[in-house]
Amino acid sequence: MKKNILLIALAISFNTHAQELFVVTDPASNVPANSISVRLSQSAFKEKFEAGYNYHLMPELTWGMNKNLMFRATSFISNRNGKLVTEGANVFTKWRFYSEDDIQSHFRLAAFGRYSFNNSDIHQEQIETMGHNSGYELGFIATKLVKKLAISTSVSFEQAHDNKPNYKFPVTQGTQATNYTFSIGKLMYPKKYTSYKQTNINLMCELLGQTINANGKTSLDIVPSVQFILNSQARIDIAYRQELLNSMFRTAPNGIYINFEYTFFSVFK
Amino acid sequence: MKKFKNKITILIAIFMLSNSVIAQVYKADIIATGLTCSMCSNAIKKQLKTIESVDSIATDLNTNTFSVFFKKDQAIVPSILKVKVENAGFFVGSMQLDLDASYLTSNSTQFININNSDLKNKKTVTIQILDKGYVTDKTYKKLEKQFGKVSSYLKQNETDFHFKIIN
Repeated sequence: MKKNILLIALAISFNTHAQELFVVTDPASNVPANSISVRLSQSAFKEKFEAGYNYHLMPELTWGMNKNLMFRATSFISNRNGKLVTEGANVFTKWRFYSEDDIQSHFRLAAFGRYSFNNSDIHQEQIETMGHNSGYELGFIATKLVKKLAISTSVSFEQAHDNKPNYKFPVTQGTQATNYTFSIGKLMYPKKYTSYKQTNINLMCELLGQTINANGKTSLDIVPSVQFILNSQARIDIAYRQELLNSMFRTAPNGIYINFEYTFFSVFK
Repeated sequence: MKKFKNKITILIAIFMLSNSVIAQVYKADIIATGLTCSMCSNAIKKQLKTIESVDSIATDLNTNTFSVFFKKDQAIVPSILKVKVENAGFFVGSMQLDLDASYLTSNSTQFININNSDLKNKKTVTIQILDKGYVTDKTYKKLEKQFGKVSSYLKQNETDFHFKIIN
């Protein structure tokens, strides 16, 4: 109920008009065919039970194979055990299977899959194949763009495996989770375009929910962000993640993201 | 004799081909659908630039209109432009071509004058392509009713281009 009220409040506060290049979720749209995008994601999350921050660095490469299919490879580096160590990597693919486009609007559906491996210790009940757990995730995304406003939602199934070679998934914890996200973004500036060189500013807000299937333990986080698009080619995201509701054991739920991304358009003809 | 006949056939073919190439397509005005931001627009522009016959592109970012200017003496097939817009992840909402009227007559198997309007001895004309994928889905539904009797239109053959004269 709380969640519903929050969603409605968010939808009202942003109202019409935007952008769907979200910080922590993916839209149903893909990167352009034959393009390569390079991304450096960073996050620093405050440790709940010890001093300091958990820093994650994720270099990422995305390739648009054709207009409907893209692939992404990410590696996970973190300072969890004192110094920066590469803990794992993942491959991600997204297939846009439905598009209904009109002037300055679209509705799109996509399916995605992720496979990750990670060798770090398993230290929380939350399942996160982006940087913490070995395992896979399968899901669907729906995205609607109307003029300057983008709204996107996704639902996915996530399965955690042992973090080989040293860390077995704890038998007392659920290995499967259901994830649900809701994202909203709005193009704030410029009001009127005069050139590709104008910096675009997007404001976004994302909600990330997870329920562990075996025991119903749930978390819900909110991620407000500001995004700058430079020269219609590069992107800087600054975001903050805050836990709203939680009934599972998590070690560092709150923190910041700073991401840099550059797209090389039409690298291959 | 047979060899001679073959040579004549080849010569005629070359003549016909060269004839169709001399007539010029000057410009294509494309309105893309499904986008509002300049990064998306940039993706389309960079895709269109990969077409060798493209000389330059002017963009109106507020209406997502791409004016594509072509080099001289190039044969332009509208489907190349459509594929490039779609590769960027978007769709064509409208495509108008400025060209020599003779380009249409010399490629009449490819370009079909859907309402048989008179070219009025014009040297250059502006046409709009009306096929599926070259107009918005909403517009296509209306055109489907309007041109339901034109059998080639409903076939949606990707190598036929049905057009109406704008100017």
